[in-house]
Amino acid sequence: MRLTTKIVTVVTVAVAALALTGLATAKDKAPSGRELYKEYCKPCHTADSPNGEYTPMTLIQDQWTEFFTKNYERTHKNVVDPKHDNAKVLELITPDMLKKIQKFAVDHAADSEHPMTCG
Amino acid sequence: MLKRFVLAVGTLALLAMPAAAAKTYSHSKYFEHYEGTKTCLKCHMKEAKEFFHSQHYQWEGAAPQIVNSHGEKLGKRNTINDFCTNPMANWIGLVRNSRGEILTKGCSKCHAGLGKIPTAEMSREQLENIDCLICHASGYRRDLYKAEDGTLEWRPILWKNQVGLDSVSKRISLPKRAMCLRCHSGSGGGPNFKRGDLEYELADTNAQFDVHMGTDGADMQCIDCHAGQDHRVRGRGADLSGTDMPNARLRCDNDDCHGSAPHQAEILNHHTSRVYCTTCHIPDFAKKDATDMVRDWSKPFYHEAADKYSATITMGKDVIPAYAWYNGTTWEQLPKEPVTRLADGSVGMMVPQGSRKDPNARICAFKLHRGKMPVLKGKNWIIPIVVEEFFADGNIDKAVKNAAKDFYGIDDAQYEWIDTTRYMGIFHEVQPAKNALQCLDCHGPNGRLDWKALGYPGDPMLAMLKSSH
Ligand code: HEC
Ligand code: HEC
Ligand code: HEC
Ligand code: HEC
Ligand code: HEC
Ligand code: HEC
Ligand code: HEC
Repeated sequence: MRLTTKIVTVVTVAVAALALTGLATAKDKAPSGRELYKEYCKPCHTADSPNGEYTPMTLIQDQWTEFFTKNYERTHKNVVDPKHDNAKVLELITPDMLKKIQKFAVDHAADSEHPMTCG
Repeated sequence: MLKRFVLAVGTLALLAMPAAAAKTYSHSKYFEHYEGTKTCLKCHMKEAKEFFHSQHYQWEGAAPQIVNSHGEKLGKRNTINDFCTNPMANWIGLVRNSRGEILTKGCSKCHAGLGKIPTAEMSREQLENIDCLICHASGYRRDLYKAEDGTLEWRPILWKNQVGLDSVSKRISLPKRAMCLRCHSGSGGGPNFKRGDLEYELADTNAQFDVHMGTDGADMQCIDCHAGQDHRVRGRGADLSGTDMPNARLRCDNDDCHGSAPHQAEILNHHTSRVYCTTCHIPDFAKKDATDMVRDWSKPFYHEAADKYSATITMGKDVIPAYAWYNGTTWEQLPKEPVTRLADGSVGMMVPQGSRKDPNARICAFKLHRGKMPVLKGKNWIIPIVVEEFFADGNIDKAVKNAAKDFYGIDDAQYEWIDTTRYMGIFHEVQPAKNALQCLDCHGPNGRLDWKALGYPGDPMLAMLKSSH
């Protein structure tokens, strides 16, 4: 059950919520920050991506906090996600999802106890 | 693409700067950008030169405690152990499995250098090879990368993120537990594999786990016990070859620590001249992560999930130590010396010296590590293993033959497998006094001590009771 085949029309908050439940039933639990990062951030930020490579361990904790609190909206305002039917990134990723992603990125930043890529 | 990246980082740099700059670290004012070790050398040439000569950098040093060292300098470089065997043929390298995933990066992963093999001669290049940050910067992490000229080197994982790197490289302090554990908790190839009593848990633990390092106990740092001077550390345990400070043995009963009569009960103090503190106070070890107890190199083991081969390893958790006499010196199975067997027929790789008759010896706690290693037929020399390629292809015969060629210059070596035993002192994870061994743990039926093996006709307490009747 691929998410992309499920979601076909305009992306609204409701659909984003559906996406969450979709993931949830597939995994039998709410998706973790890591899974969300992999699904919603990684595809645009791989090693050879023109948008720059970003895994949790690309930045230090202060930089991630700075990014999520100040720069995320501005830098992703006009970005649409081809992996999710060209939905607007800011609408596709709900505040709750973003919170989890932020926690994952900070917890596994380059200067954290356990730096990580998202796999 | 690279330009794009630099741009992105550039923007970030600008925007992230205020937050990063708001925090000040010990070295915030000492330099602007970290450009590798040379940044530190500007002010710390003296420390770098001292560190260059240390056991931590040279992996070779004076070995007066090894009874058969004949005055030679010894260390990882020129000896063979029953874990990763010898580092020189395995120094650095990216070994990948059939799926292209990285399996190992070489033994220099645990060397406090950036990838170059240490030389005896000091040079600017060698000094710049020292990785100061691994012991002195919190939040630092390194990984293996290919340099422009194709050589491999260890670099901060933040090497492409100057703002992040500048922040981390200014967070300088004397080494904290977590920094020493970056290497010491992962030695032997995995978490707590090698020592058993040096596990990552110690970075942040409680007094129940370790009275000295527990944050609700004495909250001691590794260097509170181990700092020597001029970057020489104190303490070698029972199974290291070369050592930084041979003349300053680190012992629990040193006068500046506990002395030899720390108890109120006279009967306990009476024991300390024959039974070492660790024997009673470390009833078991490997309490969080299991430790490698048996490593059989003769049987390649395939890990399907990781698509990787290793030796066949038997792990143990909550391990009860083995007990043996030890007077501070060790006999080592050295290369180019025919193997010598212990009473059980196995070859003793590291054997503590001392006996009941030796007044300097105490009964100490050990991890007994058993193994199976190749021995050259005819000469009876122990052979190391070129482990790196073996992790990918599982061809142990080739790995042994390549090692015999590399290490001894012998083509197509004929060899057989022998059992080995290594005694490794247990000194960490001292538990609260209430967990110390009680009289009957040793003097009761099924006690921990094998009296005969230790040179007693039988339990000395029973003997005393009998004679007093
Ligand atoms: C549809 C593609 C896409 C998705 C999905 C996406 N990004 Fe981006 N991201 C971009 C683009 C485009 C930029 C701007 C690159 C530039 O300006 O150079 C960017 C920039 C960034 C930057 C640099 C910001 C700066 O201040 O320069 C970071 C960090 C980042 N993204 C992280 C994330 C994270 C975390 C997620 C998931 C929550 C995410 N991105 C999801 C496309 C995406
Ligand atoms: C401009 C000179 C300068 C540079 C460059 C510099 N240091 Fe220092 N460092 C000092 C001074 C001065 C002290 C002593 C005062 C202090 O602790 O701040 C010191 C102290 C230290 C200490 C002892 C800290 C302590 O808490 O006792 C360590 C360790 C150290 N430096 C490591 C480094 C490393 C590693 C680098 C390279 C990243 C470096 N220094 C770069 C000047 C410098
Ligand atoms: C293997 C770990 C390790 C590495 C690598 C290391 N140090 Fe140290 N450093 C220590 C320890 C332990 C101490 C404290 C005790 C001592 O001086 O031996 C120390 C102390 C220091 C001090 C304080 C000296 C004082 O007298 O207070 C400075 C400065 C310092 N180191 C700088 C450096 C520099 C510069 C490098 C890199 C060239 C470096 N260290 C590499 C472990 C290390
Ligand atoms: C309470 C004092 C104390 C503390 C704290 C301590 N050690 Fe030790 N350590 C010892 C003693 C005692 C020895 C045995 C020394 C000897 O016999 O030469 C030892 C031996 C060692 C050895 C030699 C190999 C071995 O284990 O036999 C290493 C390596 C070591 N310690 C690393 C560490 C690290 C890393 C830390 C911090 C996580 C640490 N130690 C904390 C007391 C301590
Ligand atoms: C870069 C990895 C690394 C780091 C970081 C590191 N060590 Fe070591 N340490 C080693 C290796 C490898 C050896 C064994 C060297 C040999 O046998 O030649 C060793 C040996 C020792 C020994 C025995 C030395 C001797 O002379 O016999 C002690 C004690 C020790 N380390 C304590 C520490 C302490 C304390 C820290 C933190 C300040 C620390 N180490 C940080 C890798 C490291
Ligand atoms: C024969 C076993 C044995 C030996 C050997 C031994 N201890 Fe103890 N130790 C004990 C027991 C049992 C206790 C708890 C006694 C009590 O609660 O009065 C204890 C308690 C202690 C305490 C806590 C004292 C207190 O008042 O809380 C310290 C510190 C201590 N030992 C250190 C050492 C040192 C250092 C050595 C080596 C010189 C050593 N012990 C050797 C069995 C031993
Ligand atoms: C770690 C094991 C261990 C523990 C625990 C232990 N003992 Fe012993 N005990 C020994 C050894 C070894 C000797 C022999 C010492 C020697 O060679 O002089 C001994 C000797 C004795 C002796 C004979 C002393 C002599 O001078 O001949 C008595 C009595 C004794 N222990 C009583 C006790 C009592 C009481 C306790 C509990 C408080 C206790 N032991 C705990 C190991 C232990």
